[in-house]
Amino acid sequence: MREEALLFGKTKSLVGIITDPPDAKRSHGVPGIILLDAGIIHRVGPNRIHVKIARALAPMGFVVLRFDFSGIGDSKVRDDNLPFEESAVRETQEAMDYLSATRAIDRFHLLGISSGAIVSYKTAGRDPRVIGATLINPASYGDELRSYAKARRYWKNALSDPKRWAKALTGRANYQLIGPRLRTVFSSRRKALSVANHIAADFQSLIERRVDLRLVYSKGDLGLDCLDVILGNELRELSKRGTLKLEIIPQADHTCTLLESQQRLLTLVQNSALAMAHG
Amino acid sequence: MPGAGIEPFYFGTDKKLLYGCYHAPQSRAPRDCGVVLCYPMAQEYIRSHRTYRQLSYHLSKFGFPVLRFDFYGCGDSEGNCDEGRIPQWLADVGSAIYEIKERHGSIKICLVGLRLGGTLAMMVAAERGDIDGIVLWDPVPSGTAYIEELATLHQERARHSLGKATHGTITESPTEILGFPLTGLMRADLQKIEVFSIRKKPANDILIIGSGEEAIQGRLKDHLKRLSARVECQHLPSPKIWIEKNKTVVPNEILKAVVSWISRVYP
Repeated sequence: MREEALLFGKTKSLVGIITDPPDAKRSHGVPGIILLDAGIIHRVGPNRIHVKIARALAPMGFVVLRFDFSGIGDSKVRDDNLPFEESAVRETQEAMDYLSATRAIDRFHLLGISSGAIVSYKTAGRDPRVIGATLINPASYGDELRSYAKARRYWKNALSDPKRWAKALTGRANYQLIGPRLRTVFSSRRKALSVANHIAADFQSLIERRVDLRLVYSKGDLGLDCLDVILGNELRELSKRGTLKLEIIPQADHTCTLLESQQRLLTLVQNSALAMAHG
Repeated sequence: MPGAGIEPFYFGTDKKLLYGCYHAPQSRAPRDCGVVLCYPMAQEYIRSHRTYRQLSYHLSKFGFPVLRFDFYGCGDSEGNCDEGRIPQWLADVGSAIYEIKERHGSIKICLVGLRLGGTLAMMVAAERGDIDGIVLWDPVPSGTAYIEELATLHQERARHSLGKATHGTITESPTEILGFPLTGLMRADLQKIEVFSIRKKPANDILIIGSGEEAIQGRLKDHLKRLSARVECQHLPSPKIWIEKNKTVVPNEILKAVVSWISRVYP
């Protein structure tokens, strides 16, 4: 295994680390793996998990690139006016261009945690070179969908909790809190469902293109509630048909802080890679 | 512009390569002093990365060559998280100093470190005796107290955001802290750290920056003065960037103070 630090992109200002497999292990049939920044955490990933993933996949024959979006980590701030949602997709494409030019790789699997997961699926939707994406706890789909999913979770939990029913029926409930939460559900519903429909359509087109979609969630993560709003009953069907793989990590927070949850995530990613390697 | 004029690269020995990011001096009159930035450890490393990048950018703009690097087993450097050891990290600071001198010849060296990074900088400097200046930003005075502090933070985080997930993982001797392993060897290494037991002058000029409790900074200042160092102490109340809730903050007032002091001492 070999690691190389590099500057790439149109202005040679994106900083990345390539982890190459040992020459004897390099498998030419597998996609290149690109790991995308989670929020403002630089390319090592939350709790250094990107480094662990890269070093676990390279010995399996994969070339892995993890890099910083402009303005994050060591990469230079852009000098144009592109919004992050657009520049992140373009820069991921530049990362693919780099691997194509230097490693002769033309198919890619993107992996991202949280906001990195969102960039992964958006790039997959725009670029046919992306043949797979692992989305780990995607949740930043926009304020409307998040608030709606949050309020919906609150009501689901409340309605199935006998203690809360007892409180409500005996007049001990905090009605000042209930009112605004109820309003959130109704006021944000229309906008949230519209956003959810767009995302569902994006997922659908990726599925039709046979993009290998792997969704990984920490149990209890808000992203799961968002997914429920996006796909609803369709989720079970897609999952059953194997067109979308859903994995849940128990006892984990949003960024898999506990070492045990990091290990579970790593094992999941390695198993996915094994499946990719065997076509 | 942040990120301009940087060179990411690996250095050190073949078996223990370290990731470094070199910032070339940006002004027309480069200074005769190289600055080596030493990161804190584990989660504090991740949370301080943005601030270190900004500090490097400002220092390079003022004409200083700057090298910031990841310790072995940390960040992009080789090694696993559970392979970090204090003696290795002290040697890593030496490798970084060698590296910047290779690029600039016999220049003066100023070490800058936040939290454990500051403490390690001081330990290396006291041992070598050839470091000109040090900036100690909220240094960790005692390794034992540091472990206790991290363990408390881990427990608080666990209680608030991890909930039941931590059942069975929190003990009086935690084996993991905020996403990173704490091995028995590392614990033993940390427990040996006690800055007030340093008996050699680490550098001629030392700046201590305290963003919190002043008493410790004052005691450290007295200790270093007794070792014949010229010490300046600045109390700059500021969010603790190594704490979860402040992780997006870049404390610009402190960065300005560091750049201003280094520029004054090494004109």
